[in-house]
Amino acid sequence: MAETATPSRWLPRRPWEGVLADGHFGKADETGVTVQTREALGIATLITGEDSHAALDAAMYEHFRLSLPRTPMAVRSGSRQAVWSGPGQWLLVADSREGFRGDLAKLAGLAAVSDQSDGRAVLSLSGPRVRDLLAKGAMLDLHPAAFPVGTAASTSIAYLGVTLWRSADSPEGPVFEIMVARSMAGSFWSWLSASAAEFGYAVTSRRASSADRG
Amino acid sequence: MSGQPFRLTSGGLIDRGRTLDFSFDGKSYQGHAGDTLASALLANGVRLVGRSFKYHRPRGVLSAGPEEPNALVELRTGARREPNTRATVVELFDGLEAASQNRWPSLAFDLLSLNGLVSPALVAGFYYKTFMWPAAFWEKLYEPLIRRAAGLGRAAGAEDPDHYEKAFAFCDVLVIGGGPAGLAAALAAGRSGARVILCDEDFRLGGRLLAEKREIDGKPASEWLAATLAELASLPDVRIMPRTTIFGLYDHGIYGAVERVSDHLPEPAPHQPRQRGWRIYAKRAILAAGALERPIVFSGNDAPGVMLAGAARTYVNRYGALPGRETVLFTAGDDGWATARDIASAGGQVAAIVDSRPEADAGRKALADKLGARLFAGGAVEGTSGGRQLDGVTIREASGATASVACDLLAVSNGWNPTLHLTSHQNDKPVWDDGLHCFVPGSLPAGLSVAGSAAGRFTLAQALEDGARLGREAAADAGLTPAGAGPVPATDPETNGLQPVWRVKGAKGKAFVDYQNDVTDKDVELAAREGFRPVEHLKRYTTLGMATDQGKTSNLAGLAVVAEQTGRTIPQTGTTTFRPPYTPVAIGALAGHHRGKDFRLTRLAPTHDWSREQGAVFVESGQWLRAQYYPKPGENDWLTTVNREVLAVRSGVGICDVSTLGKIDIQGTDAAEFLERVYINGWKALPVGKARYGLMLREDGFVMDDGTTSRLGESHFLMTTTTANAGKVMQHLEFCHQVLWPELDVRLVSVSEQWAQASIAGPKARETLRGVVDSAHDISNEAFPYLAVREITVGGGIPARLFRISFSGELAYELAVPADYGDAMMRALMRAGAPFGITPYGTEALGVMRVEKGHVAGNELSGQTTARDLGLGKVMSSKKDYIGRLMAGRPALIEKDRPSFVGFKPVDPAQRLRAGAHFIGIGKATVMENDEGYMTSVAYSPHLKHWMGLGLIKGGAARIGERVRAYDPVRNGDIVVEICSPVFVDPEGARLHG
Repeated sequence: MAETATPSRWLPRRPWEGVLADGHFGKADETGVTVQTREALGIATLITGEDSHAALDAAMYEHFRLSLPRTPMAVRSGSRQAVWSGPGQWLLVADSREGFRGDLAKLAGLAAVSDQSDGRAVLSLSGPRVRDLLAKGAMLDLHPAAFPVGTAASTSIAYLGVTLWRSADSPEGPVFEIMVARSMAGSFWSWLSASAAEFGYAVTSRRASSADRG
Repeated sequence: MSGQPFRLTSGGLIDRGRTLDFSFDGKSYQGHAGDTLASALLANGVRLVGRSFKYHRPRGVLSAGPEEPNALVELRTGARREPNTRATVVELFDGLEAASQNRWPSLAFDLLSLNGLVSPALVAGFYYKTFMWPAAFWEKLYEPLIRRAAGLGRAAGAEDPDHYEKAFAFCDVLVIGGGPAGLAAALAAGRSGARVILCDEDFRLGGRLLAEKREIDGKPASEWLAATLAELASLPDVRIMPRTTIFGLYDHGIYGAVERVSDHLPEPAPHQPRQRGWRIYAKRAILAAGALERPIVFSGNDAPGVMLAGAARTYVNRYGALPGRETVLFTAGDDGWATARDIASAGGQVAAIVDSRPEADAGRKALADKLGARLFAGGAVEGTSGGRQLDGVTIREASGATASVACDLLAVSNGWNPTLHLTSHQNDKPVWDDGLHCFVPGSLPAGLSVAGSAAGRFTLAQALEDGARLGREAAADAGLTPAGAGPVPATDPETNGLQPVWRVKGAKGKAFVDYQNDVTDKDVELAAREGFRPVEHLKRYTTLGMATDQGKTSNLAGLAVVAEQTGRTIPQTGTTTFRPPYTPVAIGALAGHHRGKDFRLTRLAPTHDWSREQGAVFVESGQWLRAQYYPKPGENDWLTTVNREVLAVRSGVGICDVSTLGKIDIQGTDAAEFLERVYINGWKALPVGKARYGLMLREDGFVMDDGTTSRLGESHFLMTTTTANAGKVMQHLEFCHQVLWPELDVRLVSVSEQWAQASIAGPKARETLRGVVDSAHDISNEAFPYLAVREITVGGGIPARLFRISFSGELAYELAVPADYGDAMMRALMRAGAPFGITPYGTEALGVMRVEKGHVAGNELSGQTTARDLGLGKVMSSKKDYIGRLMAGRPALIEKDRPSFVGFKPVDPAQRLRAGAHFIGIGKATVMENDEGYMTSVAYSPHLKHWMGLGLIKGGAARIGERVRAYDPVRNGDIVVEICSPVFVDPEGARLHG
């Protein structure tokens, strides 16, 4: 690593900073929705031809034990997830940026790999009213039978594009991960905060340490 | 209870333990939980509730439902004031304030009721015929006058303080209506395991069961209702939505609904929306919306105290309010008799029963006797008296004699019309049923079935049978196994004989067909005589069936009068087409969250907060907010600020956020070939580590967008686009890749959001940059020349990309870092550039500098310019094919005389140039034929100390040195300008390479 050119440290500013604050909001004494920021994830787009992903499949499995889904699904293995985002297109999502660049290097040449870690803002949404909240924005049938664990979708909420998927249930119920473009985080939050207020909602931001530069 | 003289001491579905205070026209009253505003007013003996639209006639409550044409009030006050709300569906709440509308100075004494005296002039088509001349009077005099005199309630005139939402729902079976048919359907579908949504516009489920004294399985219907609701509540996939109106049926099983979340409260509870607009996706739907009762057209049929018989029953049975003490029933069928029976059993007097059918059977005669009511079989009501309050009716007996009967309520029963509106939202036409004397659903929209009264199956037994059968069928159609068919519950005996009376002729005085629009039978006759016979013409000429009730109580009577007048049958006459919405929907419910600044999304750059700290003024650029300029204290006009920013860049160093430019990552072995085809210039020879300006055309040969594209690797490019066109270019490239050349090995993805990017420009740019780029990277002029591109690190190992490109014409770089570090990058650059007076600059200064350099931008890339027009013809490669090449060669686009790109300066340096000014030869007339082109961009150059312009003029560069007029009639500008080179500053480009 090269030596530091300036004495001051460069502090990362995550997409939700300045957009949302921790705490309980909306209807008092009820927490229908729990919002957790997912900071400093490793995110990359992996694009191959629609019919030319055998090598990528093999590498994903070999390195990460991830089987790339063929349909709008998200799969997880350890700290990494693969989310289908179009024919021959996936998102690789890692819980941390630690070693993420190394992950991507392993896939070089097997797909068009583009690091998007900083370009997306991700929230994890849960709570007993999470489906009622999402019903105010997503034209998707999120009934447990229609949208089981692992289902993913690219859709729009409040006129902005989102990728959302259902990860494993928590003890409190279903959990949805929702990803928006970084620049739209403020507008998305305006919709979400207005829509969740009637249920009461709690926000926790899981700040990654600034050392997590990945 | 003494305050509510017409309230029954017992019975009904109101909670007498909960008294609610409300006011009407400033007077205080009390009602109970479970009341509507209409039922509470009736309980208090308030009969006069409004004035009619045109004649300002006194009007009372006609109905007990959404069809109400008369009892329209302004609800609430201030910013929440809502005009034209139907008192019959307004759920009473404590503190409700309502006011009558369309009266002046007061409801009881209305000066404009004099309109009634001149009413012969106010017949159908009156406005069209009268206010024709002179034309200028229409806007200034007639229209304002008419709008004040006619018209309904007043809008709030202030911004709605409440929040509205939109929401989406999905189900196997949507049941529309929560009466016996709908509940039976929901139960059958729900028992089959279907995901069911049941919507009812009422706040209480049960439909007519709430208003009737009926038995199911030998017990009061209320027991069946309670048991059914309990079972539905126990089914996890059944969702009951009261206060929710399905207002429209759309393609593919999509239904529009509005849920009145908080309309029954003085104001929404904290964090609650006022209303929620739903879009419901249903595999199958069952319409069980019931039926609407029909009035009879006779003289004086609009007096306060004339009420639909079914509504009168509703007020007695559901709300425990007597709508009158002395009742006359005027009925054309069996159904009206139930009203007489129920009113009598509640303690009201029934003075007379007028049954228009010639014969009354023994049972009915006995009932009339028992009630002590005079029976007029074969009779008709032909007049009313009493003005503001009905006090009697004139009855023409079968014999032709007339009789007067005192009464304060005239209950009118003329059969029911199925509420089939939704069945015709997809243009299916209802069909006439001779036996039932009403229109019934004809062909049905895909996925919809109709149960009970809505299908013309008016008996309770039919409703229950239809509901159970169609509920099972819908579940089966949605792919489920229907639950076994249990026995349909038995009901008490019922008959529904009917011989409708379309109108009672021969009396003087007005007989209203359409109460809300004050359309009389005479108006309809007149329209027919004048040739407005097709029903759609009739509607528009007379206004019959328009406004908030859309003719729910009037359409059929209007058709019947025209049919009679023209010697046709009702089905021959036709029916008007029902369109959404079924009942009025507030715009707020359709807009939901998206109003004010949420009307559309706002995109913020990763450096936004830093710019704000610096005091930036922001400007919208598409969806983005970009820093426009950074005023310092004491700078009172934008030009002062912008001049300072420009001079600071050209003399020292400035930084500007360029994160908003589109960035497209292009990878693949055919990436270079792909670029060859989308850009007009060559790319294969571009070495790795270099950037190049690129211009792309649309298929039609006009310029689409420009930007710099860099070669990061042999098969890896990074394209930039303008901020405004980023999305459009991405779409275009995807189209090219997926449709035109799927064989090319190329992958595209937007990385616009991933990178924060800043332009560092000015003679001190490199020295500033040296302070942030890690020392391992050599950025000297030799190692990193103009158009170099390299992946580097900054701030001690943060990956970054450095581009030596310039829009300002200065020594300039663009530095890109992962967006999380955008904020830190700006701060680091400010620290590193502090010794050189580093200055943040915005899009205005950027614009000045690009005009000084003669670079084209959005104003020139207008979609109407070619590469040649912009002086970029030499960039067009002749060695390859590319999108737009052939079309750019069309004769008109290569014509010598086409306006092309040059610079302009004012001959008098003190004069300001204006973009949009047109060029006209000196001494020539200012007519289109002499138009030579126009100014596309202007800016004030703080270096030249005068305004400069870019534009397109016939002859272009060949005319440099000539003078023309820049004519700007919009701002009264007409000045002489000199045509010059578009490059105003540093034409040799020496600064670029410094």
